[in-house]
Amino acid sequence: MSEVVYLDNAATTAVDPRVVASMLECLGPGGDYANPSAVGHGPGRRARARVEQARAEVAALVGADPSQVIFTSGATEADNLALLGAARFYRERGRHVVTSRTEHPAVLDACRQLEREGFEVTYLKPGPDGIVEVAQVEAALRTDTLLVSLMHVNNEIGVVQDVGEVGRLCRERGVLFHVDAAQGAGKLPLDVGRDCIDLLALTAHKLHGPKGVGALCVRREPRLGLVPLSHGGGQERGLRSGTLPTHQIVGMGAAYRIAAAEMGEEGARIAGLRDRLWRGLAAVPGITLNGHATRRAPGILSVTVDGVEGESLLYALPQLAVASGSACATVSGEPSYVLRALGRSDRLAQSSLRLSLGRFTTAAEIDLAVQAIGAAVSRLRAVAPEPRA
Amino acid sequence: MTADDPRYGHEVRRRMASLAGAGSFASGPDVIAGRAGDREQGAEVELQMRTAGDRVTEARFRAFGCPHFIAAASWLTEHLAGASRDELGHWDWREAAAALEVPPAKFGRLLTLQDAVRDAAGNWPGGAASTV
Repeated sequence: MSEVVYLDNAATTAVDPRVVASMLECLGPGGDYANPSAVGHGPGRRARARVEQARAEVAALVGADPSQVIFTSGATEADNLALLGAARFYRERGRHVVTSRTEHPAVLDACRQLEREGFEVTYLKPGPDGIVEVAQVEAALRTDTLLVSLMHVNNEIGVVQDVGEVGRLCRERGVLFHVDAAQGAGKLPLDVGRDCIDLLALTAHKLHGPKGVGALCVRREPRLGLVPLSHGGGQERGLRSGTLPTHQIVGMGAAYRIAAAEMGEEGARIAGLRDRLWRGLAAVPGITLNGHATRRAPGILSVTVDGVEGESLLYALPQLAVASGSACATVSGEPSYVLRALGRSDRLAQSSLRLSLGRFTTAAEIDLAVQAIGAAVSRLRAVAPEPRA
Repeated sequence: MTADDPRYGHEVRRRMASLAGAGSFASGPDVIAGRAGDREQGAEVELQMRTAGDRVTEARFRAFGCPHFIAAASWLTEHLAGASRDELGHWDWREAAAALEVPPAKFGRLLTLQDAVRDAAGNWPGGAASTV
């Protein structure tokens, strides 16, 4: 067991050694390091073949055709390309967008940008369990609604949205449907065809792949238009100019291939560890679960710890790498907007922990985490004044 | 503990490890108390001081808050020993801020500590009524 128990896999994961091996084949002399756009020579064609193999591996995990996959720098860029690109392309069709208050900042900030460009955005409030009901989406649709954006798995609390039902609703109404699947892809089954997803944002580093690479799956039949965010060499069908990072893309492909092969068994194992973690923490008085009790991704557990202050709780857990909300949100130091959207007070939102498990998490680490959190909570509560009457 | 985290200085780490001065006294005629803050605002403290004549002899704290705040309450219990009622009434949070290298963003929490000290001074028999 390493010195620090890493339970922040929703922020990022360790790269699987099998992925590292694939990436190394594309870096050094003798490897497939050539520019994959330089198909006029053999090394370039070999690099191109590696990229296309990875494209097929990414597509296969989400039921897409390889031609639908546009490689990006990550899910944030993919979300931006999807929302800004589609809204700008179809702006004459409608200026209304529907999303939820608990989306990742990559979606929320892109929506704010659309508002600055004259679009109107409806931000749906999820229930106390974090679920956005299909009926809420339906009620929000208007004749000028262009696009709905809903995440698959919430990055802070791990609840799973019914993207299939929302996708079918959107398809019926002729509304574009975007899904941020950064946390869900490879953890839970997802199929862009079955789930009627027009734009699917993906990343590698949440799935034991490398940071710095992601993809946007774009509907091809009928072809969906996007205005690119950047301009240059015209790579990725002109939607994402810039030299393709072969090693990163190959790493993403390997991570997705491994996930496709191991998702069932690994998901069950991680869900078992998550339940073991929750059973241990639930025995500590004043610890409550955030989000829906059963509609959850295998690897994310969010809890609120009443009676202790959040920063002190994190301080008292040096043996654990955990988050007090999403890593993205904690940069601001503000209480989690996701937990506040669920009705938690600022204090309770601030006293919350997100524990996220991954491929390399062990049962011994879970037991250590339960023991450490229980001890830290007891120590901090012992030093706190009695609540005022 | 958390030795590589640059947000916390040596004194904060030392006091969070020991929590020196944490606890409370059995109530009695020689024990005064002051309280300030609000958990909903992220910081709450209760100070107790045992007195002899016109001096504090010992102090204890209970605190809810960030590590800087808890450590400052711990530090305070040692620095209040020997203080007079008048000195409590004029105690200034900046002393603790300097001793614990508290970042400016958290100065407001130390004002909570100052409020508790002054509340205790107000509760000293013969002192002014508490304003907290």
